[in-house]
Amino acid sequence: MSTMNDAALAMLPVFLPLGGAAMALFAKTLRGSRAARTLEATAAFAGLALPWIALAALLPSAMAGGFRFSVSGWNDAIGITQRFDGLSWLVDVLGFTGAGAAYVYSRGAGPKGPHFTAIFLVQTSALAATASTTDLFNLFVCLEVLGLASYVLVASSGKGGALLAAFSYLAVSSAAMVFFLVGLFGFYRLTGSLSYEGIAAGLAAIPGGGGKSAALSTACVVAAIAIRVAVMPVYGWLPDAHALAPHAISAVLSGVLIKTPLFALGRLLGFLPLGSAAQALVGAAGAVTALVAVVVALSQKDAKRLLAYHSISQIGYIVAAWGLGTPAGLSAAWLHAFYHALFKGLLFLSVGTIADAAGTRNVYELRGAGAALALAGDKGRVTAIAYAIGALSITAIPPLNGFSSKGAISALFKGDWRYWALFAAGACTVASFLKLSTIFLPPRGDAARPRPPEPAEGFRVTPSMKASMTFLAGMCVVTGLFSRRIGAFAAGMLGAGGGLSIPSLWGGAEAAKTGLAVAIGAALFALAVSSPGKAIAAAVRSRPRSFAGLVVAFAAGLAALGALLVRLQ
Amino acid sequence: MIARSLILAIFMTGLAGLVASRNLVKKTYALAIMNSAVVLLFVLEGATIGTRAPLLGGSPGDAAAFVDPVPQALMLTAIVVGVCVSALALALAFRLYRAYGTLDIDELRKHVDHE
Repeated sequence: MSTMNDAALAMLPVFLPLGGAAMALFAKTLRGSRAARTLEATAAFAGLALPWIALAALLPSAMAGGFRFSVSGWNDAIGITQRFDGLSWLVDVLGFTGAGAAYVYSRGAGPKGPHFTAIFLVQTSALAATASTTDLFNLFVCLEVLGLASYVLVASSGKGGALLAAFSYLAVSSAAMVFFLVGLFGFYRLTGSLSYEGIAAGLAAIPGGGGKSAALSTACVVAAIAIRVAVMPVYGWLPDAHALAPHAISAVLSGVLIKTPLFALGRLLGFLPLGSAAQALVGAAGAVTALVAVVVALSQKDAKRLLAYHSISQIGYIVAAWGLGTPAGLSAAWLHAFYHALFKGLLFLSVGTIADAAGTRNVYELRGAGAALALAGDKGRVTAIAYAIGALSITAIPPLNGFSSKGAISALFKGDWRYWALFAAGACTVASFLKLSTIFLPPRGDAARPRPPEPAEGFRVTPSMKASMTFLAGMCVVTGLFSRRIGAFAAGMLGAGGGLSIPSLWGGAEAAKTGLAVAIGAALFALAVSSPGKAIAAAVRSRPRSFAGLVVAFAAGLAALGALLVRLQ
Repeated sequence: MIARSLILAIFMTGLAGLVASRNLVKKTYALAIMNSAVVLLFVLEGATIGTRAPLLGGSPGDAAAFVDPVPQALMLTAIVVGVCVSALALALAFRLYRAYGTLDIDELRKHVDHE
């Protein structure tokens, strides 16, 4: 049961970053004085560090099953109701870990300035709000704030490509939000309510559960959120946005921002009669996404774009597990989402650092990354070790964390087509990261080949960049070693009685499967870097990408989902 | 029925403009048109419920006689969000125009891919 105290505490993860954003904006008016820098640092501390205290204090009530509350104590008819439970707590932990590490990195590598801090904190605040919303109106606001902040952050590198990526993302996702409103309108007309509980009660009272209108409204809402999650077929905006954003932003976008809307959607679908059908359909699309996106990733030549396609592939794993609609599926999805936030954040930061140090992002040209990093002041090989840990995590090598979470997901699909789809995706991931790792090979000598590029002028690997990467790398190892405990904890928070079947780190069938995936991956890698492999890669890369294609893919996805849901009814 | 058909026509105009027009500024307007269509839909439907001002504690009487305030509140929010989206989209279009001298999305994609 909710006490006034808990309700106030549960708003802190939302209000602290928002208050921090206000402080950072105020710091902007002080124009670069020492007071401005102090105020900006205080704002970041208040917005990214203090919420951990609130989360620690909220842990007992979250473990006890959570509570619902109305913001500022207004009565339910006119107030905003929120729910703070195990899911909110876990998603908040994911969000604040990813955002905190990325912010520390940005202190060294940029973007800097109070306006960046302000927008970053607004985004963090919206993440926390999205995690516990139980009202369609509020979900709409949260998603729009989240979206607006992320469009600005994508564009904040100022490069032409980033501006265009931000525009495309903005246009397609705003168009999708118009459909979200249409779906919201459908539910409101049917039930006269916008809270999840009210909609569920209203639909239950209508004979036939609302018929076609309810099915089409569900499709509109699900499709609009699917864009944010970047599941097939609506992932087209992501590679440009994540590849061209500043590295710290790429880490947050890939690590946190694409997952929070997924968990928020799961909360909504639990209340809808067609919710589990919609969830299963999106989950199947997720398994396909995991495999298709990794094949495209394997063909990329831009290092960060390669990582961006891997984000789509990894979110496919998460969506597939989430699509089961069971507490065990949700726990495995969260576990992989959390681990992915750690290792993909790490990969974006380390590969971004390497690209800046070497002055190029072309995987086929970049060689001698270690030497370039040493020239940029990274004598202790922090970046190289960080990259190695990230790469071993994503390719599911024990004892690192990716092994456990991918094992927990594939255990859910034993004897199913999705099991093999995810296994194939795992092998391709190995191949793709072998290819990316060639940037550490020594530069080739013969003059016909491109020489290692000159290090970027004045680029230094600063202590805050190293601190951020060290933290994430350490987390990848620690969470890998303690996976069983973390998995059991998450399962307990999400009410999965049977727990998760996390494979043993030392030996066993799952480890043998990893060996097989590595062998297949190595063969695929050899194929991919051969001449015919490179020609195929170039063909995959040069397939046309257009803005109209994004909207058409969304419309097609929405139409298919709507038709399937109407039939399933 | 006529009102709803007209709203649908406005909505489709916006959607068609968003897909077919290559100009970033026109795309931004097309988005605003789609948004307006949904606002009109909500206001049209919301206006049919009740007639009196929905003031809590102010005018006692049958609650059903109140105009339902939720659609209006929601649409005020949607309009504000729409203005933010338009402003940001135009700012991005302006920056792109300054960098490449064109607003055509296909031309811009070519410029960007060559970088």
